[in-house]
Amino acid sequence: MSKYSSDLLWLSSLRFLLQHPWHFALSILGVALGVSVVVSIDISNSSAKTAFSLSTEAVTGKATHQIQGAAEDLDEEVYQTIRIDGKIRKSAPVVEGYARITGVNRTFQVLGVDPIAEAPFRNFASQEAGIELSEFMAGENTGLIAESVAQELEVSIGDTLAISVGGRSFSIRLIGLIDTQDDRSRQALESLLVLDVSTAQRLFDMQGKLSQIDLILPQNAEENIIPELKTMLPDGADIIRSDSRTETVEQMTRAFEFNLQALSMLALLVGMFLIYNTMTFSVVQRRPLIGRLRALGVTKNEILAIVLKEAVLIGLLGTVIGMISGIFLAQVLVKLVTQSINDLYFVLSVQELTIGFFPLAKGALLGIGATLIASFWPAREASQAEVSTVLRRSSNESKITKRILPLAIIGVSAGLAGLGILLIPNGGIAAGYSSLLFMIVGFSLIIPMLIVGMAKVLRPVLGKVNGLIGKMSVRGVVTELSRTSVAIAALVVAVAATVGVGVMVDSFRTTVVSWLESQLQADVYVQPPSSVSRNADSELVPMLVDILKETEGVAESHTVRSVDVRTNNGTDNLVAIDQGEAARNTYQLKEGDSGFWQDYTEENILMVSEVYAYRNEVGLGDSLFIVTDRGRQGFEIRAINFDYASDIGTITINREIYNQYFEDEAISGLALYAEDGVEVDELVERLRERSKGLQEVFIRSNKGLREASIEIFDRTFTVTVVLRMLAILVAFIGVLSALMALQLERSRELAVLRANGMTPGQLWNYVITQTGVMGVMAGILSVPLGILMAYILVYVINLRSFGWTLQFMISSEVLIQAVALAVVAALLAGIYPSWKMAKTNPADALRNE
Amino acid sequence: MSNEAHIQLNKLTKSYQEGDKTRAVLDEMNLSVKEGELIVLLGRSGSGKSTLLNLVSGIDKPDSGEVVIGGTDLAKLNEKDRTLFRRKNIGFVFQSFNLITTLTAHENVILPLKLKGVSDDETLSKAQQFLDEVGLGDRGDSYPDRLSGGEQQRVAIARALAHEPMLILADEPTGNLDYETGKTILDILNNLVRKNGRTIILATHDRDICNIADRVLEIRGGKLREVSITEEAIQ
Repeated sequence: MSKYSSDLLWLSSLRFLLQHPWHFALSILGVALGVSVVVSIDISNSSAKTAFSLSTEAVTGKATHQIQGAAEDLDEEVYQTIRIDGKIRKSAPVVEGYARITGVNRTFQVLGVDPIAEAPFRNFASQEAGIELSEFMAGENTGLIAESVAQELEVSIGDTLAISVGGRSFSIRLIGLIDTQDDRSRQALESLLVLDVSTAQRLFDMQGKLSQIDLILPQNAEENIIPELKTMLPDGADIIRSDSRTETVEQMTRAFEFNLQALSMLALLVGMFLIYNTMTFSVVQRRPLIGRLRALGVTKNEILAIVLKEAVLIGLLGTVIGMISGIFLAQVLVKLVTQSINDLYFVLSVQELTIGFFPLAKGALLGIGATLIASFWPAREASQAEVSTVLRRSSNESKITKRILPLAIIGVSAGLAGLGILLIPNGGIAAGYSSLLFMIVGFSLIIPMLIVGMAKVLRPVLGKVNGLIGKMSVRGVVTELSRTSVAIAALVVAVAATVGVGVMVDSFRTTVVSWLESQLQADVYVQPPSSVSRNADSELVPMLVDILKETEGVAESHTVRSVDVRTNNGTDNLVAIDQGEAARNTYQLKEGDSGFWQDYTEENILMVSEVYAYRNEVGLGDSLFIVTDRGRQGFEIRAINFDYASDIGTITINREIYNQYFEDEAISGLALYAEDGVEVDELVERLRERSKGLQEVFIRSNKGLREASIEIFDRTFTVTVVLRMLAILVAFIGVLSALMALQLERSRELAVLRANGMTPGQLWNYVITQTGVMGVMAGILSVPLGILMAYILVYVINLRSFGWTLQFMISSEVLIQAVALAVVAALLAGIYPSWKMAKTNPADALRNE
Repeated sequence: MSNEAHIQLNKLTKSYQEGDKTRAVLDEMNLSVKEGELIVLLGRSGSGKSTLLNLVSGIDKPDSGEVVIGGTDLAKLNEKDRTLFRRKNIGFVFQSFNLITTLTAHENVILPLKLKGVSDDETLSKAQQFLDEVGLGDRGDSYPDRLSGGEQQRVAIARALAHEPMLILADEPTGNLDYETGKTILDILNNLVRKNGRTIILATHDRDICNIADRVLEIRGGKLREVSITEEAIQ
């Protein structure tokens, strides 16, 4: 083809797109929304990741290794031994924790350091950075914050900061500001409070203890220095590479991030169906035009190329708009993602977005790629059409009528292939999503057959309700099946995606609610505020525990201790409970015999949560090695329990056994049982009264804690809900686009009806009834597909991502919402064409082209 | 007019499947057309006129037989080569005009020239020349929906002739037009075809058209029968 003729064909295509601005704009919007969701999730994830690695970089500094204790602390004498006996000059003591500074709505990481030893590690905290040693180490509570934070708080050197650590209040005098030159460190240091090591020990009640000792060791240290150093360490302490901490955290959030990405891809998939729908429609609409071009000698490949070129244009425009809007959307999503990470995993503060090349490149590739893939079949369909048939209109309808059965057979086969993928052992999350894709495509291919079947049922019904117009409306859906089936399929997939995600969230919520009911047996719960909602990382003041236990009206109590320990599987959360045999009423066992509760107070046995068992591939009878203050100790897994509080998993042990191996008297949480006849709310008030002045703690009734837990649950799912809302938006636009275009294209047929005496009112009735019928059909069909999607999300993807057993819960609300979404959108889509046709003179529409 | 056979149809057969039955539309049909000849093809609706034109243009392929145009047997070409052959050698005039609605009248005429690879300068002048010849030199910038039926058909004639095809196929060119306009269109077509020495096969069911023909043929029962022009005039 010469350059000129290709230009003319392209010009013709461009003009076609511009002559259908609604259609053109809506297809661009379909791509833009899909790309926007993917890009924003990617940017949010990478911003969170960058913020984490920046803060780790800032806190770890140049340390190559760290010495850590068995539980969360290490005796400070170890530091003397390492520095003096081990002659490791490049070593520095560190006390770490979290605090909240009054006036700033975020959690700060507290870094307690020795400025004299700091110089090789962190330049901002060293003596060389200008820290006044006399003031810093004077014995009073003094500290440093970043200059930008001081500006935010409107404080200057010499002012006092009010901080809260695990519910206890302290005052810190500001003796200096951390001034950083480069952007990278500035971001990380904005969430850091630097203290002298002894001040930090006071704040965290760690007198004589350290969180870790940072080391800078030469490259060949693994062979000679480390083995020698290890001989100087107490039982349970170990030397680890400082980057292994980042690896652990990355592993922790991998499934969370993957699922967010997958959900964003679902939005893109819905977008792809819309593109497919738009392109198919655009091709169907142009069949006569394509036929004319073919008759004039334009080859099949030239037609294919020109339709694909249009797709590239739509993809390109949609991608650019999607990337720009994705960056804006990321500003909102990053807050939600960070909130979820803070609730679920660790303290993270993202001050600004990291817009890297990769998320944008991925967005561009997906946007244009998805558009091209979605457009390929319509383009091929256009190019393969025989010229003699495209010159006749009815051929296309007779073609799809013939194809209904083969399409359904291919659809069932695709569904079965999806099922087959599910059966692949160790298929992983990616296989789960691939299976989902096959099932969606499979179901879409059965839709034409289902439409014909549904029309047979709906026709007499609507005939009775709406007379001839009702019958005509249903019949019209079948006679124009090549167009209506694609529009309905796109609508079904979009709405089903919202049903799938909705049912998944509902199932999760129902499971968590019923689990909380059985888990929360006590009447009152006392917890210090913790920096990570699902992790009890703070301690209760021992005196407070005694006072609360002895409060009038308290019949019984038990305590919980939660610590991070090193095991043969990495760093894990260990929970020690002192409930004795009564714990059998609290914990629901998934696997394990009833004898466990009798033995767990005396033997080295423990219970792991099902998530822990899944993540670490362990089961009953397996051994778990925990690094304790008495050295590495083996425990047998004798029970696996249901636990929805953590997606990382927990190990539960009896407190008496814990005390045998750990020198730790601390308590992380307290559960109290009221005496018979005592009003729980009154008891809560009494307990709150008695705790005043000692420690700021949460004292909540059973009901209060349950509500608070559900609130946190809902908060962690906010990002999923937002993604679902976006999918609904894409679906809504898709419906509008598909149905409006369909009706507008029928203007000639509608004009014929008007010419034959149909009044404008009857025309409204006809168009609205028809779009309504399509909406009802799509709404009904989206329910089974949505449930199928939910089933895979709950039983396959959730299970493979986290290992949770969930109760499948279908609420009527989600289903009604889906059908209503489809019908309302369909009815809205009918308004403009009805209005347009009702006010147009039929003669104009009847004119020849 | 040359005496050499320019178009040769040999034992051309085409049938369609209608449910369980096979309906033969063309049955071992033979035809020989000389260069510059104007053939009028008569036949009732459904007699196979359009099928024959589709076969001659290479849009469709026969079940058996030969379609030789200018020495090339279209039946032996694949789809792509038939399309390229059509692009270079065939001009179409349809009953429903079939202009490209997204191109102006001028661009519609240019399109076959550009597809053929004619240089830019030449296409512009040729398109203008043919538009002038059909009396629409001043309507080149108009889109088809701004033109009347007769005007659209005139653009279609200009488009069919502009790239100097070996053969022009006209399928009921006056079918959508009123009597007077139809007559004008026919005159334009006749004049231009004669002036440019083109071969044309014109399918119609309108027997009045026969008086411009060099030869009149009628399709009946899948076979071609030559009808004398006087016979047609009497009928």
